[in-house]
Amino acid sequence: MLLLQQVTKRFDRKMAVDEVSFTLDQGEIVGLLGPNGAGKTTLIRMINQIIHPDKGTIRFKGEIMTQEHLKHVGYLPEERGLYKNMTVEAHALFLGALRGMSKKEALKALDFWFEKFDCLDWRNKRIETLSKGMAQKVQFICSVLHDPDLLILDEPFSGFDPLNVELIQAELIAMKKRGKTILISTHNMKSVEEICDRVALIHQSKKIVEGKVAVLQEERKTGLFGLKFSGSMIGFVNALWTGFELVDKEELGDNRFLVKVRLRGDNTFEDFLKISLKEVKIEAAWEILPSMQDIFIQEVTHTTHQNETTHEK
Amino acid sequence: MKNSWIIARRELMERIKSRSFLFMAFFGPIVVLGITYSIFKLGGKEQQKWNVLIADKGQLFDNKIASREDPSITYSFINDYVEIEDFASNPKFKDFDALVEINHKIISNKAALLFYKEKPSFNMSVNIRYQVERRLEEIVATEQYKLSLRDFRSIKQPLTIGFRNVYDPYNTAVDLAGWVGLFFGAFIFLFIFLFGMTILRAVMREKSSRIVEILLATVSPKALLIGKIIGIGLSALVQLVIWLLVVSLGLYFFRQTIFIDFSDPSMLTAAMPSDYNQFVELVFDRINFVPMISVFAVFFVLGYLFYGAFFASLGAVSGSESDGQQFLIPLIALLLFALYSGYFVLMNPESSLAVVFHYLPFTSPVVVMVKFAMGYPPGSAYQLYLSAIILFVSAFLVLSLAGRLYKNGLLQYGHAVRLSTILRWLKRN
Repeated sequence: MLLLQQVTKRFDRKMAVDEVSFTLDQGEIVGLLGPNGAGKTTLIRMINQIIHPDKGTIRFKGEIMTQEHLKHVGYLPEERGLYKNMTVEAHALFLGALRGMSKKEALKALDFWFEKFDCLDWRNKRIETLSKGMAQKVQFICSVLHDPDLLILDEPFSGFDPLNVELIQAELIAMKKRGKTILISTHNMKSVEEICDRVALIHQSKKIVEGKVAVLQEERKTGLFGLKFSGSMIGFVNALWTGFELVDKEELGDNRFLVKVRLRGDNTFEDFLKISLKEVKIEAAWEILPSMQDIFIQEVTHTTHQNETTHEK
Repeated sequence: MKNSWIIARRELMERIKSRSFLFMAFFGPIVVLGITYSIFKLGGKEQQKWNVLIADKGQLFDNKIASREDPSITYSFINDYVEIEDFASNPKFKDFDALVEINHKIISNKAALLFYKEKPSFNMSVNIRYQVERRLEEIVATEQYKLSLRDFRSIKQPLTIGFRNVYDPYNTAVDLAGWVGLFFGAFIFLFIFLFGMTILRAVMREKSSRIVEILLATVSPKALLIGKIIGIGLSALVQLVIWLLVVSLGLYFFRQTIFIDFSDPSMLTAAMPSDYNQFVELVFDRINFVPMISVFAVFFVLGYLFYGAFFASLGAVSGSESDGQQFLIPLIALLLFALYSGYFVLMNPESSLAVVFHYLPFTSPVVVMVKFAMGYPPGSAYQLYLSAIILFVSAFLVLSLAGRLYKNGLLQYGHAVRLSTILRWLKRN
């Protein structure tokens, strides 16, 4: 669907995006991650043809991307605004027209989304009378009104209450099921884990990691297992003996505990469960995978450190 | 282009629905009509009413003055000397506004004085001088030279040699017509300023509300710039048409009612030099409104596009709303200079600077209006077209440069504008 090849952009002396390549396949949700100032917004603006790369190509459905393709792209920028003195409907029709929709099409799509987001009575309200959350919903509706094949969202969840985050997430998943491709730039790692199939991590204008969320987590797992139980802590520790190492423990009160354990030797998760079952009452047991937050911090600090040492040398 | 039109349509609708637009459409023409009315009125009917005392010891005037009565001046006669101090302070003279002293020497030295308590208006002084002088002429002619008044006046008439332009031997293009041209030119600049500011504010608002990022993801910066300038320009045109309609209706109404009798030859003041007669005649009879308004429309549109690009660029490069102000000052100075250039050309139509101003795109909209109103010499109408073409090309160039600034400046917020940044953006395509 979207292919970026060695896309590079420089603003005067500052390198904003440095030879970044990645692909977006149809029907997947990809998270674009990176600390502030990493170059995510520049990259997104290049995909949206707002600025043009100095080097590299961007292809949309196999063709070199041009202004013409933007009719099939929806964009919700991070810094977003609306004309305050227009009504919601007039605003949506205006943006729809710019995306090549006829008035009839736009009105029909608007009906659909208003009903979906339960905001039919907002139609003739002026934007300035809307609350921040309401305005954000309108912005989201405006970006998906023309049923784009590719939806680009820059920090879509900021400013939304948890209920609306749920709502938007559900909508994004529904769109994905309809074969739409979505690129999300966000700092909300929880959402990334929940809805993204893949992520690309940008840091200091370079892409440093890319891959499926599950694979990235699998690759970086630490071999730790978590267990929540009730019973005797002393008995449990004795049972671990030399086969397992207790890494962390937390008392939850009422004789309940949460522990982190590392396997030793040839011992497996099953072995761990077996010895635990004999001693305590298990409430839950799981393999501890690194969160996207952990991976993000780990990768970013690692690269920064690496760059600094190369720099010092 | 389609997107530019969508942008333009939105701008147009937003302006037309705004309260300030309606306010301007309503009050603008009323102010113009009010000013016109007061020029007509103040130059015309005398508001002052004067009692003039003529101290005529020798009874030269024979207690008579004009054959026809002037409603604004009442003459009284006293056949004695009146001391000035007495006239100033004696309560019996308190009703008189002026004293005219006539003594017997007047036949030989032909000089008399008028003492006033409050300075008379221009018209009042013209009227008194006219009436007293005519009466004196009558006396001098008949008493001293025993001539008929008619012969006296025909002798008295000065021999003059008039200077005329060889291309305009009938002197139809009087300076006053040039003033009307300047008025039209000033009108263009008033609209350029008002709607230029609208462009500036609209661009800044789009930047500060961040809507511009969404717009730029669908239209090119150039299409956005053009759409914005055209949309606001169309609203300016709508406003202008309203003004023209209301003002012409008003002028028609003036002609039919209030100023109907101005050209009536039986008016007492008809023979006297008077501003308003010329002015009223000029507005109603002398200006050829159809070609005037056509040229006005062309230079209005081109001048607006030219300056509009400057206002839009200024909005695009500004980091914050207050930031634009400092760069606004040179732009306003430029507009004022253009207005002055119109006045300069009116005063020095043949100077070489006038030629420069006539073609310079910054000043041409107003200067062309002045020149056109004064009349181009036969065979040099090409100057008008040449100036229009230069303005058109300049507007095009400025618009494309503005496009670059627009592209580079629109997504920058919160910075301080520096000339070096602007130059760098201009270079970067």
